[in-house]
Amino acid sequence: MLYPLERIIFVLVVLVSLGLSWVTFSKMFKVIGRGADPIDWKKAFLNLPKGLGVFLSQRTLFKTRPIVGGIHAVVAWGFTLYMAVNVVDVLYGMIPGFHFLPNHIMGDIYRFFVDIFSILVLIGVKYFMFRRFIAKDQNLVVKEPVLLSESARNGMRRDSFIVGMFILCHVGFRFIGASFEVAIQGHDWSQPAATLLSFLWTELTMTQASLAVGEHVSWWLALGLILAFLPYFPYSKHAHLFMGPLNYMVAKERRSPATLEIMDLEDENAEQFGASKLEHLPQKELLDGYACIMCNRCQDLCPAYITGKELSPSALEINKRYYFNEHLTSFANGEESTDPLYKWMLTEEAIWSCTTCGYCVEVCPVGNEPMVDILRIRQDLVLMESNFPQEAMDVFNKIETYGNPWGMSPQDREKWTEGLDVPIMREKGSAEYLYWAGCAGAYDDRGKAISKSVVKILNEANVDYAVLGNEETCTGDSARRIGNEYLFQMQATQNIENFEKYGVKKIITQCPHCLTTLKNDYGEMGAELDVIHHSQFIGQLLADGKIKPEKNLTEKVTFHDACYLGRHLGEYDAPREVLQSVMVDGNDIIEMDRTKEQSFCCGAGGGNMWYEIKTGKRMNIERFEEAIETGAKTVVTSCNFCMIMMEDSRKVTGQDETMEVVDIAELVAARI
Amino acid sequence: MKICVLVKQIPGSEATFNVTPDGRWIQESGLPFEMNESDIYALEEALQIREKMGEGEVFVVTLGPDRCQKTIREALAKGADRAIHIKEEAPFCTDPLTIASVFTQVIREENPELVLSGLQSDDLGFGQTGVLIGEMLGMTTATLVVATEIQDEDIRVKRELEAGWFQWQTMKLPASLAIQSGLNTPRYPSLRGIMTARKKEIKDVSFNDLRNVDFLQSFKKLSIQHAEKHTEMIEGSVDEIVSKLVNVFKNEIRIN
Repeated sequence: MLYPLERIIFVLVVLVSLGLSWVTFSKMFKVIGRGADPIDWKKAFLNLPKGLGVFLSQRTLFKTRPIVGGIHAVVAWGFTLYMAVNVVDVLYGMIPGFHFLPNHIMGDIYRFFVDIFSILVLIGVKYFMFRRFIAKDQNLVVKEPVLLSESARNGMRRDSFIVGMFILCHVGFRFIGASFEVAIQGHDWSQPAATLLSFLWTELTMTQASLAVGEHVSWWLALGLILAFLPYFPYSKHAHLFMGPLNYMVAKERRSPATLEIMDLEDENAEQFGASKLEHLPQKELLDGYACIMCNRCQDLCPAYITGKELSPSALEINKRYYFNEHLTSFANGEESTDPLYKWMLTEEAIWSCTTCGYCVEVCPVGNEPMVDILRIRQDLVLMESNFPQEAMDVFNKIETYGNPWGMSPQDREKWTEGLDVPIMREKGSAEYLYWAGCAGAYDDRGKAISKSVVKILNEANVDYAVLGNEETCTGDSARRIGNEYLFQMQATQNIENFEKYGVKKIITQCPHCLTTLKNDYGEMGAELDVIHHSQFIGQLLADGKIKPEKNLTEKVTFHDACYLGRHLGEYDAPREVLQSVMVDGNDIIEMDRTKEQSFCCGAGGGNMWYEIKTGKRMNIERFEEAIETGAKTVVTSCNFCMIMMEDSRKVTGQDETMEVVDIAELVAARI
Repeated sequence: MKICVLVKQIPGSEATFNVTPDGRWIQESGLPFEMNESDIYALEEALQIREKMGEGEVFVVTLGPDRCQKTIREALAKGADRAIHIKEEAPFCTDPLTIASVFTQVIREENPELVLSGLQSDDLGFGQTGVLIGEMLGMTTATLVVATEIQDEDIRVKRELEAGWFQWQTMKLPASLAIQSGLNTPRYPSLRGIMTARKKEIKDVSFNDLRNVDFLQSFKKLSIQHAEKHTEMIEGSVDEIVSKLVNVFKNEIRIN
């Protein structure tokens, strides 16, 4: 199609574009290479099917915002098709007389899909631009008081406009070009939309010569835009289209979202623990910044963001990305990054506002882990800088001295068992199951009531179990999530020694935080334990007919998911089934709007139980108000922390006379 | 500046106490121990003075059995340069004069310019050790110190008096100061601090070898007081309740 001179120019333009792209792309990968903990690229390559699977299925987009996700999927599939289209178009332009399967059914099908998807992509991208620039969808905005760098604030709008216009023009001119071609060659009903447009050109009585000029100009604009855009790619959020799938390919398998790898604290050569600066983050987490498309899905249900605190997981990644853009050359060349992360990526308050609820990680369509960045920054602040909330220091001291964050006497840990028939390990010697009450279950009044209910059930079902009693000590969950790896490892070592002493292999606990820590964090330390939540265990007992609670609960109830049971361990059904088993037929759980994978945190996780971020609304109140709205009189929990937070908000919201908060074990125990 | 800090390990205040069968001491098995609260502030003050002056040495001196190692390591992890452990086995000496004389012998060899101690230990609570050591070493001495300021050869201290009054006093160095809790924000040891603490020097000396005075005080018997709580319901009309409550505030709780 092209004239010889045009072909030479095209080859030159391609060479220039590829040359420039080589420069910018290699900088992007050098930036990623600056991170700690190198990516295993060979393993990543073997994960190609996983990356392609995510890309082609678009499945990660449908967890929330299904309509936008659907439109995105159409645009993404259109893009995929356009990769082939561009190759065909280049051949069409460069090889005289080339046509892709001209009178062949496969060629017609190809042209039909290109035609339809061109229109769909144009509509989809126009919708996206309308949503951002005209409707000003608040989901795309990061609100005050979250830190968003000046360059990010300006850059996001500019970049979104460039990307949107690029796609519109690229696809638009490709489509117009096709219509000129149709006009030249006569209508082609395998391209209905292009044929429709071609009628306009015939209507305008354009000559063959002017149609040919139109086709040439469109061809140059459509393909030229790609060549112009290519070197800009690494600066643009549009890079998400390959960095997102790549992120899935390089992802580390984690036992659970907040279970980081165990630090080697004895490493004498280690100069840094945790992440103070950008280069201390693992390479995968630097890649996160490039994968982020700034859709803000992660902040939709971030409990800190929703309640007006300084944290937005999205802003963290966006700031990271714009830091790359601003310092691309110097950082790629190995210069030390300027300031600590807590100065520019997110504020110190934001760091401590994270409850590690895991929503941001769960929902992110491109596999980012902003929560993990926060955990690493906390490690630096605690281990290297001793800079953290004063109340957290009290908790560390209490765990160190007393083995529990409440600072209660370790000699009183088994006091809750007094007057009950509860076997204690040091007397019994061994048992099939260790029942782990946890600190809340041993010291907090509500927690103790849950523990008593659990042992009542275990006794009723004749389970061979025992408790560690005074030998039990904090698992180190709060310490680890706050960033005190040293204290965590001390606690873990002590507990693991006790497990070995009594040959403990199987553990039942009502605390999802203890559960995650015992099962996953201790697992990382080499102690593989079979840990089961009391809801799961009670569920088994029910299924085996070992307990037969009366099915007489007639009140309206709602169930609050614990983050560490739900998102962190993937267990949503067990507590609901246990709950349903005591409800009379026809009385069903009333679900809150935000439930299961999209449940809203009570506000106590990640150490937030022990200190208070004063900015904004309290998370537990936000959640309890949602429970009130359901009209339920009973809020059912399955976590000690959730219980404490919900009980507190029940009183604060003035519902202490009208509503109650109970644990599933209490409901069952009261009915046997 | 060379600064000596006296650090004591005491049973955790939230611990459950039981007396040994012979009634001479508390049962130690399973008992949690921690650093005495005002000693934590004294240590922090010493570390801050060293940091402010940009030079100097902070060493801690502890009296007690082997279990005190944990407390000593904690002080070293926070930043003390070295430690002297005066080892003592049960039955423990509780006589402040004897204790002060032993400390004095150890400290005199070191010749520090400043001796900081917590105001009192939260277990026995005599509050005499720092004062006695100051006297025995011929140092100027101040108690209830809530702020310090080094001025060349002198030290300016702020003392807490009664009824919300404070006193600023300039004193000659060397000095022995008994530090009141709350004058600074104690630090949490960094990981690097914990690691380097393992390599820092702890010099052991024996309490019995150093004891040169006769006990002036001895323990006869230890017993635990069980405080009884009682609840009184105030009933009547609102006016009656208020007047009864005011009476309780005035005459029983004595709120002015």
